[in-house]
Amino acid sequence: MNQVPPGGMLPGERIAFDPIAGRRRLELPDGKRVAVWIIVNIEEWNPLETMPRTVLTPPAGGAPMPDIPNWAWHEYGNRVGFWRILDVFDDYRLPGNLAVNGCAIAAYPQIAEAAHSRGWEFIGHGFSQKNMQKVADEVEDIRLTTEAIQRFTGTRPRGWLGPGLTETWETPERLVAAGYDYVADWVLDDQPVVLKTRNGPLANVPYTQECNDVAMMLIQHHKASEYRDRAIDQFEQIRSDARHGARVMAMVLHPYIMGAPHRLRYFREAVAHIAGCPDAVFMTGSAILDWAKAQQG
Amino acid sequence: MTEPTLPGSRNPYSAIVDRAPLPPLPGGARMAFWSIVNLEVWDISRPMARQVIPAPTGQVLLPDVPNWSWHEYGMRVGVWRFFKLYERLGIRPTLSINARVCDDYERVAAHARDLGWEPMGHAWEQMPIHKVDDQRAMIFRSMDRLESFWGKRPIGWLGPGLTQTYDTPENLAEAGVKYIGDFVYDDDPTVITTAKGPLVTLPYTVELNDIPMMIVQHHESAYWKTRVMDQFKRLYEESAERPKIISIAIHPYISGQPHRIRYLEEIYAEVAEYAGVVHMNGAELYDWYNAAAKVHP
Repeated sequence: MNQVPPGGMLPGERIAFDPIAGRRRLELPDGKRVAVWIIVNIEEWNPLETMPRTVLTPPAGGAPMPDIPNWAWHEYGNRVGFWRILDVFDDYRLPGNLAVNGCAIAAYPQIAEAAHSRGWEFIGHGFSQKNMQKVADEVEDIRLTTEAIQRFTGTRPRGWLGPGLTETWETPERLVAAGYDYVADWVLDDQPVVLKTRNGPLANVPYTQECNDVAMMLIQHHKASEYRDRAIDQFEQIRSDARHGARVMAMVLHPYIMGAPHRLRYFREAVAHIAGCPDAVFMTGSAILDWAKAQQG
Repeated sequence: MTEPTLPGSRNPYSAIVDRAPLPPLPGGARMAFWSIVNLEVWDISRPMARQVIPAPTGQVLLPDVPNWSWHEYGMRVGVWRFFKLYERLGIRPTLSINARVCDDYERVAAHARDLGWEPMGHAWEQMPIHKVDDQRAMIFRSMDRLESFWGKRPIGWLGPGLTQTYDTPENLAEAGVKYIGDFVYDDDPTVITTAKGPLVTLPYTVELNDIPMMIVQHHESAYWKTRVMDQFKRLYEESAERPKIISIAIHPYISGQPHRIRYLEEIYAEVAEYAGVVHMNGAELYDWYNAAAKVHP
C-alpha cells in the first residue's frame, strides 16, 4: 500500500531535515563522548512459516516447507549461542538490551530470566518474527508484545524495534498509543531525535544496519572478523566526530549468528576495544533516551 | 490432515548451561572431531542441486551440462584427493552418500567401503525430500541398498540439503536409523521423540560446511581454514568443562578442487598439534552417547 492512510504520516512529515553540524552540543557525564548500546535480538521462528533467514537453500533451490535445517540453525542460537554471548556481557559488566519477540519470552524463559536478573532493558520486537506489514492486526501485536514483557519483568517496555526494522505508516502512532517512549527503526542519525506522530512525540534512539550481524554475515556474507573490524572503525570515527558533541553508537547481534563458536571471538574483541577506550560508556536504550532528553531540552 | 509434529516438540528447549554432564569421551579425550564427506548423484534430467555458473540471462537450462560437469569433477578427480588425505592421516570419515552412488559410481563407493568409511544414509539421489513421491519407500530403498553394498545396515541419516518433512523422523526410525544429522540446533547429541521410537541427533554443521560457505556465501578458499580453526579453538577452550564435538562437512566438487584442498589439509595438520582430540565417525559418536544415555537397547 503506497497511500498514506489518514492515521499515518510520511517520514518527512515526522521529522524535518536537520544536519548534525551546528546542533546544540551534547555532553555525556564524566567527560565521556560515545554512548554505546548493544542490542541482542531474541526471536522465535515459527516452523509452520517461511524462515525469516536461511543459511542453506535446498538442493535445486525453491523454498519447500517445512524448513527444518534453517529452523534448527536458528534454534542453536537460543540453546547454545546466547550463553556464549552472555559471558562477554558478564566479563565486561555491560548493560544489555534485549529486543525480544513477545512470544519468545514463554518459549525461552531461561534467556528472559538471565537477561532480567542482570537488569537488561527489554525492548518490544513484535510478537513474532514477522514483517509488521504482514501482521494481521498491528495494534493487537503491539499489545500482546507489551503485555508479555510487562508480565515477565513487571515493567512496561519503553522501547520498540520492529522485526527487521519494519513499520507500517501508522506504527509510530500505535506505539505512542501503547505507551512507548522510543523506537529504534529509524537509522537516520547518530543522536536521538524526536518523531512527530498523530498521538504525540516519539523518540528514536540510533540503531544500526551497519554494525548488525544479519546484514553483515547473512546478506553481505562477510568474514566473521569483519564484525570486529567494522565495529572498531565505526567506533573510532564516531569518537572522532564526537569532538563536536557526544554521539551514539549501536552494535547489534543475534545468538544464531555471532553466538556460533567461530564468530564469538570477534564480538568479544570489538567489545574489548571499545571498553578499553576512556571515551566510551555502555548504556541501555532508555538511559540514552533520558540523557538526550535532558540535554536537548 | 492431522496436526504436524513440530520440530521443537520433539525435544523441548533447553539451555546448554542447565544440562547434566556428558559422559567422558573415549581415551580421556576432551574433544571429538567428526569429518563428513558427502557423495551425491546429480541426475542430468533435472535442475542441478547447486550451480557454479548460472546460464547467461539467468535462464534455467535443461540439460545443465556445465554445472553437471562441475559436480562430476568431484567424483572423477576431487574425491581422490580426499581419499589420499584421509589414508595418510589414518582417519576414516563418515560418508554421507546418496544410495545411487553405489550403482552410478561403484568405483568410488567401493573404495570408501574398503577403507572402512562409515556410510550414512543420504537419500537415493540429490533432491529435496519434499519432492520425493514416496518418501518412506525411498528411505527404505536407500538404507537397503547401502546395507547390501556395505554388508551392514547404516545407523545414520542426513537428509539431502538436511531437508525433512514433518514426518521424516518417523520414517527414519522405522527404517532402522539410530542417529540423524539434520537437527543442527545444539553442540550436544540430543534425543528426539518420534512415533516410531527415539532418534539421536548428532551435531552436524551448516557453519563448517563448504556449500553454505563457498557456494552460498562465496567466501575465499582460505577462509575455510580460518573459520574451522576459529570454531575449533573456541570449542577446544569450552571442552575443558564439557566434551565438545566439532564437525566439518565437505563435498568433493567443492573442497576437492586443487585451489581448496590445501586448506583442508592444513586444518588437520594444525588440529594435530592439540592434545586430547579424537577423530570419531558418526557411528562411534552414537555408540559413545548411547552407551550412557541408553536411547536404544
